[in-house]
Amino acid sequence: MEVIIEQMGLAFAVLGAALAVLLAGIGSAVGIGIVGQTAAGVVTEDPDKFGPTLLLQALPGTQGIYGLLTGFLILLRIGLIGGAGAAALPLETGVATFLAALPIAFVGWFSAIAQGKAAASGVLLISKRPEELGKAIIYAVMVETYAVFALLMSIMILFSIQF
Amino acid sequence: MAIAKMNKVYLIAHQAEKKEVLSILQQAGMVEISDLQAKGAGREPWAELVESDQDQEALQELEAGLTDVRFAMDFLNRHYPAKKSLMDSLGGSKAAVSVRELDASAVELAQISKDVYSALRAADDKLIALRNEETRLQNLKLQLLPWSKLEARLEEVRATPSARLELGALPAAELAACRDKLAALEAVILEEVNVDRGEAYVFAAYAASLSEEAQAVLKEHNFNKQSFHDLSGTPSENIARLDEELAAAAADRDSTLKSAGEQAAFRDSLHRYNDFLIIERDKKQAVASLARTSNSFVVEGWIREADLPVIKERLSTLETVEMVARAPLDGETFPVALENKRSIAPFEFVTKLYGTPHPYGVDPTFALTPFFIIFFGLSMTDAGYGFIIVALAALGLWKLKLGGGGRKIMWVLLAGGISTIFFGALLGGWFGGLIPLEPLFFNALDDPMRLLIYALAIGIFQIFIGMAIKFYTNVKEGKILDAIFDQGFWYLFIIGLLLLVAPGLGGIAKLMSIGGAAGLVLTQGRTQPTLVKKFLSGVLSLYNITGYLSDVLSYSRLLALGLATGVIALAINTMADVLPKNIFGYAFMVLLLICGHAFNLVINTLSAYIHSSRLQYIEFYNRFYEGGGRTFVPFRLNTRHIEVVPEWQEGTGS
Repeated sequence: MEVIIEQMGLAFAVLGAALAVLLAGIGSAVGIGIVGQTAAGVVTEDPDKFGPTLLLQALPGTQGIYGLLTGFLILLRIGLIGGAGAAALPLETGVATFLAALPIAFVGWFSAIAQGKAAASGVLLISKRPEELGKAIIYAVMVETYAVFALLMSIMILFSIQF
Repeated sequence: MAIAKMNKVYLIAHQAEKKEVLSILQQAGMVEISDLQAKGAGREPWAELVESDQDQEALQELEAGLTDVRFAMDFLNRHYPAKKSLMDSLGGSKAAVSVRELDASAVELAQISKDVYSALRAADDKLIALRNEETRLQNLKLQLLPWSKLEARLEEVRATPSARLELGALPAAELAACRDKLAALEAVILEEVNVDRGEAYVFAAYAASLSEEAQAVLKEHNFNKQSFHDLSGTPSENIARLDEELAAAAADRDSTLKSAGEQAAFRDSLHRYNDFLIIERDKKQAVASLARTSNSFVVEGWIREADLPVIKERLSTLETVEMVARAPLDGETFPVALENKRSIAPFEFVTKLYGTPHPYGVDPTFALTPFFIIFFGLSMTDAGYGFIIVALAALGLWKLKLGGGGRKIMWVLLAGGISTIFFGALLGGWFGGLIPLEPLFFNALDDPMRLLIYALAIGIFQIFIGMAIKFYTNVKEGKILDAIFDQGFWYLFIIGLLLLVAPGLGGIAKLMSIGGAAGLVLTQGRTQPTLVKKFLSGVLSLYNITGYLSDVLSYSRLLALGLATGVIALAINTMADVLPKNIFGYAFMVLLLICGHAFNLVINTLSAYIHSSRLQYIEFYNRFYEGGGRTFVPFRLNTRHIEVVPEWQEGTGS
């Protein structure tokens, strides 16, 4: 029993890293997919719009990157990579690390999908008014704000945990 | 440094000089022509004196010409895309042609374009006809293919006075049943020719006297009659013939395309003619906005005050032109052109992305420029990346012949890159620690809280600057009380709240915040009609402090984005580090480092750019910005493919 609890700390931390990459990544994949569908339709009419639509399609991809970043930071902090190898983690540290991953995991997941929808509408906007690309981007970025905040909180929690 | 002073200008001249006047205005590109026709219609007293001055026929002719040229260019681009070098497709250096040259070659260009058009139109018609023919042949072939085993000649499968001969298909599953039923009727033959994908292709023969009964049975089993009226010979002979015809059609198509491709040599002429027609069309369209009497015409428009003498001088060569200019009347809206010092003019790009400021508002470019540069640097915070951005932007400015917008972006990136080097060296690393240099100030990864506080402090500072701008414009407009009530009390209140945390200032801080709050409660409801409502609105206005709070918190993104760049760079380095230390490992390591850092750089530059812009538009503009202006669009040489050099610039070597 003692041994299991000793191992649980590390398991929780790794679960956090996995969730951050997993959920935020799923969100980004769905979001990018949504924009891609709309963009492909617009490019059928006007192949010259490939560049600007690709730019809009890239926007919901950042959540996945934030998730990866958080996952990587967790592995780095608990010493699974870049260090001397994993030491056993106290249970409470492991759980705290797991919790640190939750903001970016969940906010990343949902915000990427919402951002994908906003960006897809942005694609339609520039199909009619190509000069308004900037505004289309801004609409999508309004959503991303919350993913950035979530990432910030994940990082802040992670850095405030003493390993 | 701000919104350009505009003048309204009226030009009156004799009809004889109309062409010259419009040419000069178009080449100068300084005057926005207002539509007098739309303005005068039925409202102005002078509307009766003047008449419309538009030549619909000529305009339509030009439009038709443009359509033809565009058809020819599209055709060539579709079948013979122009080979562009990478530099061309990025920058697109346009051939320079003077107005004089273009005018002189107009007749020749028109002839070339007409010839090219008729050749390509004929080729296009032929290609369409060939395509239809090919489709028809293909369909016939598909129809015949199941019958290839039939040895009878198709022209023999006809009705005769005593017998009916038919070809047709029915579901293979029903074949046996159908045959049995037909066998019951005598003098009926059903012969299977082929079975393909569940369909049985059969030859049916029956006596004319039995036709009703036989047809009823066939219909019951979904027999689908197929006829090849105009064909003679066996199906396989016909298929061979169709193949020959298809090959001939393909060869014909290739040769048509090839001979049409010879017209690609005239692509440059088409481009020139296209732009020539655009210039002429724009002039004709401008004419439609003018007002004319029998002998004279009037142009109304807007011009920058600074450009007035230039236009006056250019028009002085003409005899009958009279020009009057005046400042805008009180409250008269005018088109907005931004005028900034060369050093910050590129940042007008950031301003314009959001919209055009109100003619009597503030041009925010000067205020947002320093913040944008700082935010960009903080969002990147990697000196190595900064150097790459600076190098690429400098290369872009130096090597690419970019249009106005492209150059502006490059300048913005250059400034952002320098800022990135600065903040990277202070707070971050070099390629995420690839080059092991310690940050000069402190490492943001070690102490993110400290950087967070700095980021929020910059936010508060920018919001205060925004309020100061509003304070200033209020004072300038004589609304001194508004300035004190709407900005002054907020300053007092917020600074008081901030000072509450400072040791030893508690007393003053309390006094300031309470004073500010009291001021707000007493003044924010001043537009309300009753005393109770005044008071309630005043109290409710304190709730706006949440707006200030959320705006300030929004600046925390600067920290998050900066950390993101550094940590992803670190992740790439760590991944490269675990690769085996042999020759393949090293090769792959180099590849991974280059691709990884390039990806990180692109994604984060995009993020830095858009988030830095967003902080201006949402958090900063909120405090002072007034939009709703209309962009100044002067009448100018608006060409697509070539750069047309105005007469007065000829010989200056540009």
